[in-house]
Amino acid sequence: MPRSRQAAIVGVYTTKQGKLADRTSFSLQLEAIRGALDDAGLALGDVDGIVPMYGSDHLPGSTAHQFWAEQLDERPLRLMETGVAAGGLAKAAAAIEAGMCGVVVLFYGKAGWQLGPRGVQAEATAPRVPDWAFEQAGAYMATWYALWARRYMHEFGATHADLAEVAVFTRYHATLNPGSIMGPKGEITVDQVLESRPICEPLNLLDCALDNDGGYAIVLTHAAVAASCRKTPAWVLGGAESVCADFYRTIPEPWFPEEGKAVRRAADTAFSMAGVSRDDIDVAGLYDCFTITTIRDLEEMGFCKIGEGADFVKEGHCLLGGKLPTNTDGGLLSNSHNGDPSGMHVIEVVRQLRGECGARQVPDARIGAVLSQGWAVHGIAGVLILGAE
Amino acid sequence: MIYLKPLPQIEPGNKEFWDGLAKREFRVARCDNCGHYNWIRLPACRSCLSERQTWTAVSGRATVWSYSIVHRGPGAFRDEVPYAVVLAKLEEEPRSCLVLGNTVGIPVDELRVGLPLKITYLDVPGENVTLFRFTKAD
Repeated sequence: MPRSRQAAIVGVYTTKQGKLADRTSFSLQLEAIRGALDDAGLALGDVDGIVPMYGSDHLPGSTAHQFWAEQLDERPLRLMETGVAAGGLAKAAAAIEAGMCGVVVLFYGKAGWQLGPRGVQAEATAPRVPDWAFEQAGAYMATWYALWARRYMHEFGATHADLAEVAVFTRYHATLNPGSIMGPKGEITVDQVLESRPICEPLNLLDCALDNDGGYAIVLTHAAVAASCRKTPAWVLGGAESVCADFYRTIPEPWFPEEGKAVRRAADTAFSMAGVSRDDIDVAGLYDCFTITTIRDLEEMGFCKIGEGADFVKEGHCLLGGKLPTNTDGGLLSNSHNGDPSGMHVIEVVRQLRGECGARQVPDARIGAVLSQGWAVHGIAGVLILGAE
Repeated sequence: MIYLKPLPQIEPGNKEFWDGLAKREFRVARCDNCGHYNWIRLPACRSCLSERQTWTAVSGRATVWSYSIVHRGPGAFRDEVPYAVVLAKLEEEPRSCLVLGNTVGIPVDELRVGLPLKITYLDVPGENVTLFRFTKAD
C-alpha cells in the first residue's frame, strides 16, 4: 500500500530520437509534455510543477518557471526544480509528498546542435571564453572522461578492452530495442570497439555516447491521482541528489576514494529511504555517456567495490539475464544521447516496471534503480529507486 | 599565423593570473590565512573560507596526473590533431592543484602518468595574451 501522498511516475514519453533537422528544441519539448500527460491520462490543466531540464528552461535558473508559467497559459506553478533527471524527480517527489504541489512534469527537448567536437566551428578570430574554461585547451566532454579513464586504468590496472565490454553489452541491449538508434546496426565485439577510430585516447568512437536530437518527458504525481491514471504507477521508493564539484575546470582529488563521492552519497540516501538493498534491484538505468562512466557508476552506486567495476561487467552481471540488467534500452551509448539524456534512463526503468519492454523485458521486474550524473564527471548525481508496488 | 583557438576573457578577478604569465610566472591563489593553494581560484579559500587570497608564483614543477591524446579537435583545434591534453598536478601541497592544459615539445607517445613536467609560456601573436603550456622537466 502506498502512503497517502506517496509520489509515483505515471506518465513517460520519448519523441523520435535521431537527426531531427526539421524540428526545433521547443517543439520537441511541447510534444514531450503533451505525450507524457497523455500517457498518464492527465491534462495540461492538472500540472502545477515543472522540472525543465538543461537547455529547456528558456530563462536561466530560478526564473525559468516565469517563462513556462506564462507559456502554459499563465498557470500558477507551485514548484520549479532543477537538477539532472533523477535528482530533480527526487526533489519533486518530496515536494509532492509534502503537499507543495500535485502534478509535476519533467521535460527536455533538443534539436539542431551537437555536443561533440563536430558541433564547434572555427571562427575568423579567436573566440573568448571564460577564464580557465577547458575550450582553451581543445578539450571537450570526451576529453574529460578520457582523463578520468586513463587515471582509472593507471590506478586499478584496467585495460581498454575492459572498458570496451561496456559498449558490447549495451549494444546488445539496443539490438532488442526497436526504437534505438544503433540497434539496427547489430551487435559489436570488443575488437570492433578497440579498432574504431580514436577520439580522445584511451576512448575510441565506440566508447562514446551518441550525439543526436530528441526529447522526452516524465509525469510525477501522488497516490490519489495515480489511482485514476491510465498506466500502472512506478512508485518513488527513495530518491536523492548530491553535488560536489564545479563546471569541468578541474576534478578535485581524490578521484576514486573507497567511500565514494557524490554518487555514493546520493545512492546511500536513496537506498536508505527506500528500505531496499543493492541486491533487491531487478533492473538499473545508469548514466553511460562513455564506457568508463558505466564502470564507475557500478562502483559508486555500491553494486561492487571501488576498482571492481570492470570485473563486474566482464562477469556478465549487467546483461539481460544477469543479476543487474543495466541500460536495457541500449543506454546513451547505443539508444540515444540527445544532449541532456538523464531522463532516458528513468523512462526505461519505468517501462521495465510496467512490463512494456518486449524482447528486452526483465522478467518480473519489481524494483529499479536510476543514476543520473554529470558535470565534472561525477560532480552532480541524482538517484531514484522505483518500485512496481 | 593568426591564433584562432579560444582565448580567456581577462577580467579584474583573473587579470593577475594572466599578467603573471606575461612575466613568466604561474600564479595560484594562496590563502593568506591557512596557506593552502586553491586551483582554480574561487571567491574564498576552499579549506578555511577566508576571502583573503594572494596570487602567488609557484615553482612550475608538476607531474602528469592524467592525459589524453585528442584525435578529433573542435573548431580551430581540428587541424592540430593529434594533440595532448593533460591534467598536471602541481608540486604545491597540501591541497592538490590539478591544472588542465596542453603540452609542447613532448612526443605524444612519451606521455605517461607521473611524467615530470614544467610550465612554459607562449606569447600569442597578435593578441595581448600569454598562455601556459606543459613541457618535460629538465
